[in-house]
Amino acid sequence: MSPGKVLVAMSGGVDSSVAAALLVEQGYEVIGATMKLFCYGDTVADRPCCSLDSIQDAATVAERLDVPHYVLDFEDRFQQFVVQDFVSEYAGGRTPIPCVRCNTFTKFRDLLAHADALGCDHIATGHYTIVRDGALYRGRDRLKDQTYFMWGIDRGVVERMLTPIGELTKEETRSLARRLDLATAEKPESVEICFVPDGDYAAVLEQHLPTDAPSLSPGPIRTTGGEVIGEHRGFARYTIGQRRGLPGGFAHPMYVVGIEPEERAVVVGTADELFGHCVELQEVNWLAEPLQPGDTCEVQVRYRSKPTAALVKEGAGGRLALDLAEPVRAITPGQSGALYDGEQLLGGGVIN
Amino acid sequence: MTPTRDSSQRVYLDHAATTPVRPEVRAAMEPFLTDEAFGNPSSAHWAGRPARAALAEARECIAAAVGAEPHQVVFTSGGTEADNLAVLGGALAARATGRPFRVAVSAIEHKAVLDAARVVERLGGEMVLLPVSAGGQVEPAAVDAALEQGVALLSVMWVNNETGAVQDVVSLAEHADQAGVPFHTDAVQALGKLPCTMADAPITLLTLSGHKIGALKGAGALIVRDKQVLEPLLHGGGQQEGVRPGTENVAGAVGLGVAVKLASAEQTETEHHTRALRDDLERRVIDALRDATVNGRDGTRAPHISSIAIPGADSNALLMQLDVAGIACSAGSACATGTASPSHVLMATGLPDELASASVRFSFGHQSREQDVDRVIEVLPDAVQRVRTLVASLAEGA
Repeated sequence: MSPGKVLVAMSGGVDSSVAAALLVEQGYEVIGATMKLFCYGDTVADRPCCSLDSIQDAATVAERLDVPHYVLDFEDRFQQFVVQDFVSEYAGGRTPIPCVRCNTFTKFRDLLAHADALGCDHIATGHYTIVRDGALYRGRDRLKDQTYFMWGIDRGVVERMLTPIGELTKEETRSLARRLDLATAEKPESVEICFVPDGDYAAVLEQHLPTDAPSLSPGPIRTTGGEVIGEHRGFARYTIGQRRGLPGGFAHPMYVVGIEPEERAVVVGTADELFGHCVELQEVNWLAEPLQPGDTCEVQVRYRSKPTAALVKEGAGGRLALDLAEPVRAITPGQSGALYDGEQLLGGGVIN
Repeated sequence: MTPTRDSSQRVYLDHAATTPVRPEVRAAMEPFLTDEAFGNPSSAHWAGRPARAALAEARECIAAAVGAEPHQVVFTSGGTEADNLAVLGGALAARATGRPFRVAVSAIEHKAVLDAARVVERLGGEMVLLPVSAGGQVEPAAVDAALEQGVALLSVMWVNNETGAVQDVVSLAEHADQAGVPFHTDAVQALGKLPCTMADAPITLLTLSGHKIGALKGAGALIVRDKQVLEPLLHGGGQQEGVRPGTENVAGAVGLGVAVKLASAEQTETEHHTRALRDDLERRVIDALRDATVNGRDGTRAPHISSIAIPGADSNALLMQLDVAGIACSAGSACATGTASPSHVLMATGLPDELASASVRFSFGHQSREQDVDRVIEVLPDAVQRVRTLVASLAEGA
């Protein structure tokens, strides 16, 4: 008796390849699907996980596993939900994480709609996260844990999610891929944002915004004291905590500590001035019972950064204000605040 | 067992994409796949002789079937190469002899013709794109205008691979002939489905493909009535009068010969058989899905192809549904990634984008059965319903 029918998102990378293989081994009726997220065309050279080659790699693995494989064309939706938001967030002086929106809207929500259409009980991905009793937990491999990007997905989605490699380390995944003789076993990691070639996000902004967009136009660089110390080439090229591209000649190293889009200003300060004592979240989503004022949890404000103990000060209407037990460096508007209770991801929001 | 794995539940209605190799074809090729007859047909010695004789026989079969001379049969690696040789070779020959470096092609040609014509443009020549009616028939006035302007070649496919639209090839060939312009037709989907002969029409070049009629993939031919109108695209050992050099694919050519002969001999029977199944399918689909429409229904259509627009049923999603149920058919032109973009053919016939991306093609072959149609009718309404629900739920998220 098959434990069920599952639609597996296969990116063409080693993680989702092994995920699909494990589900086949466990007796699931597996259907593989590769989401085509943007036009790879001639403009972007082949990149791991995000190219026609990757679609081919996923198809090769599916053939090897003897499961059907389809390509889901999500280009328009990816453009609408992810790329446009990415651009408008930078234009508004924030530093977005497109992967969060992609997970929230495209990867899971739309995938589940397709799973329903195909009569699948579950969806599965190659994420390093653990799903248990409808809740999400950090993956066992702490270096690969991807829960930070997943706070926005619908709770109903989690109940139907399978993440077969959540209990594995990356090395274990690779050796499984070798044992199963999967073509993607030695494929290099993809670490960049998939639609941003060579990490040059400013180039993507230049492509999508008018040349005279305020966020890409010159403006003042000034200190927290209000002294103008130079000019920048557009505040969208800066992010909180950044040192590169700032004028030198100060007694202490200077960092970007704020962006003020109305004045087109990039505000710089010392390392001390980078630290914050509270976090405000918006677009809050819960994957567990919502926290109430007075509750405690841990909040993580950057991918792979250490979570910090926090106290919920107030929360209403999709917003949440937290007091931090100790100051945290470079709390950046647009990044995510993911909320944890130990290993469990409780939810999160976008830092305001 | 899931339908895709259970061969008794599988339905194959994608014969316009490809067909299984026929047993007769396989048997005829067998000696050329063993050491019984492995020789190079260009070798004068004992090993070459049977291969050469087999090629000659294949040429005779093909020539007899399409009303040409055996020496006019040029074997190619398939329909795509034959189309490229005709269009690009025709344009290059014209340029070399001071005739117009310009080709006229219909808007619904196969990509092998359209993209070859675009290469002509890239090389500094011109492409005249001939519009078609809603039924898919090329507009005669546009053809005449192009001929008057002067072109190296007029290329219009006999039967369209997506809608089955049939062109009045004889009349087109005559018009071209009167204008002194070589005429090419891609007859890949016509052979074996319609009377398909050059005997009574001044067709200069005609493309054939093996795998649409039960021969091998990678085996095709261009019938070349006048080799002066072509410049070869490949260069080498001078085989096939230099028009298409390279040691011939003997087994493939032998298989093609047998398949063409069979297709031609069984043409009337295949036409009746596939038309009956297709008409039945269309009638029952429209019965089951009130708002479905047959694309190109107002024009002349070949008997074996049915392109059906189902409003709101995104074709990529519908094809997945059908495949999961064991039914193989197709949408517009599949792109390399396996997703389909709205078909240039359907768009050229004036079908709106939303119907072009909600069209599926069923295509029949001589071994198609009534049970295939039954199974489609059993599966399709639910599949369409699920796709419509999916489309609605995606739209809700948007």
